Amino acid sequence: MLAIFKRDLKSYFTSPLGYVFIAAFLAVMNVFFYLYNVYPAQSSLATVFNFMVYILIFVTPLLTMRLFSEEFKQKTDQLLLTSPVKISGIVIGKFLAALAIFAIALAVTLVYVVIIAAHGQPNVRELLANYLAIFCVASAFISIGVFISSLTENQLVSAVLTLAVFLVLYLVDTSGFGAENAILNNILYSISLFVRYTTISNGVLTLSDIVFYITVAAVFLFATTRVIEKKRWS
Amino acid sequence: MIEVNRLTKLYGDKRGVTDISFKIDEGEIVGFLGPNGAGKSTTMNIITGYLSATSGSASIGGINVLEDPLEAKKQIGYLPEQPPLYLDMTVKDYLDFVYDLKGAKTRESDRKKHISSICEMVGITQVYNRVIRNLSKGYRQRVGLAQALIGDPEVLILDEPTVGLDPRQIVEIRDVIRELGKKRTIILSTHILPEVEQICERVLVIKEGRIIADDTPQGLQANVAQGHALTLRCAGARSAVANTVRSVPGVRVVTPLPDREEGACDMLVESDGQVDIRKPLFRALAQAGFPILQLRPQDLSLEEIFMTLTEDTSAEVRR
Repeated sequence: MLAIFKRDLKSYFTSPLGYVFIAAFLAVMNVFFYLYNVYPAQSSLATVFNFMVYILIFVTPLLTMRLFSEEFKQKTDQLLLTSPVKISGIVIGKFLAALAIFAIALAVTLVYVVIIAAHGQPNVRELLANYLAIFCVASAFISIGVFISSLTENQLVSAVLTLAVFLVLYLVDTSGFGAENAILNNILYSISLFVRYTTISNGVLTLSDIVFYITVAAVFLFATTRVIEKKRWS
Repeated sequence: MIEVNRLTKLYGDKRGVTDISFKIDEGEIVGFLGPNGAGKSTTMNIITGYLSATSGSASIGGINVLEDPLEAKKQIGYLPEQPPLYLDMTVKDYLDFVYDLKGAKTRESDRKKHISSICEMVGITQVYNRVIRNLSKGYRQRVGLAQALIGDPEVLILDEPTVGLDPRQIVEIRDVIRELGKKRTIILSTHILPEVEQICERVLVIKEGRIIADDTPQGLQANVAQGHALTLRCAGARSAVANTVRSVPGVRVVTPLPDREEGACDMLVESDGQVDIRKPLFRALAQAGFPILQLRPQDLSLEEIFMTLTEDTSAEVRR
């Protein structure tokens, strides 16, 4: 697992992919930071973090599109699957590599905290909640991306499909909860990837929300191992 | 060391391999021979645990590949048909990664020694720091072979190891394989026949997903070629000699060959496989007063054997 984590992490930087992801993420974040913190002299990063999840919709596919697709295409999965490692180890290694790239990008946003601290009083507890929340959400997003990349050997298909899934989830979210049927509403509400995040980034951190995101990540990673396991039998 | 028992693999309703069984002892070098799409790669993929069989089982050193995949895989080095290379890595990084992946050993000094000795053996020391993408096919193939050797596995499974190499490299790699075979069990697939003749102690011929022959290269030759064809040089007029030869029971075809000697004629005498016609042929010719100057069994080359064994192969392509 560690070997795979290291290799995948490195491969983000031997291709432009890692740089593109970090640059795209930060470029948009910086604009939001300027608009909502620097310009109005606001010390709370809550709004910026609120937008971060929408940026994730667009940049997560970059991060996950080739994780498995490329292995299948180059037939390097033959090396991984005939080596004495568990499939779950391969999946988790790749997931953690993608998450680490996100963590690197996220770490750069700590500069915002420094800037705010230099000019005012940052709310430490709110910040901690925000960072924890976005990290959990990113885990869930990335795990969905990992899952989709295990379904195809074409990177582009993987990226577009991942983006489509996120957009659909988002649309359900924004248009939903107005449905006539209360039960349907409840279901949509409880599986929404976005609602809980808004709650947390507004400062209400509950354990159940955190557990929800971790569960989503676990479910999709497990599904990925099943997909790969099943390929052997086809 | 390797035991394959009634292996069948279906791709949908197409048959990849059908009811394949064989046993390979420790230290044997075995060649898989067969036309493209016969099921060589499928069989190898099942033994290495990349694919699962529809029915039947495979085990390495007594460990079932399906029941204890991790232990079984530890004993195998596998070079698939297309070497599993990460093109954006250098040879060094790639081999380091494989070393970690296989959990070979953990001491750093050991690692360097191990990897550099492998690089030397397969001849990739001079490209050690280059990015794999920029390497020629021959070097890529050798990096693939190096990958299979990492961790010193007891069993090597090599799918067409000499594809893409130039003639000199082929000789080098064959020497490497022979050298490796002194201590290891090796299965290699190929459709290059001299390769089998030179390296392997045993040949499994696969055709349409079934094993149709299992023998030593020499045995294979003897079996198929036995009494099959003789070249005859006999003093006398061609037509008279040919008539006498045709009168011998068991003779099927007599083909004239260009004459090599004054007053004698050459011909190729083919018989019905199992019958040894040498003695009756001698008597018949002696009686008719045509002294035999030369009688020699026509050795079939492995090419011809291969053609004989695999003829009627339909053009249908199977994976």
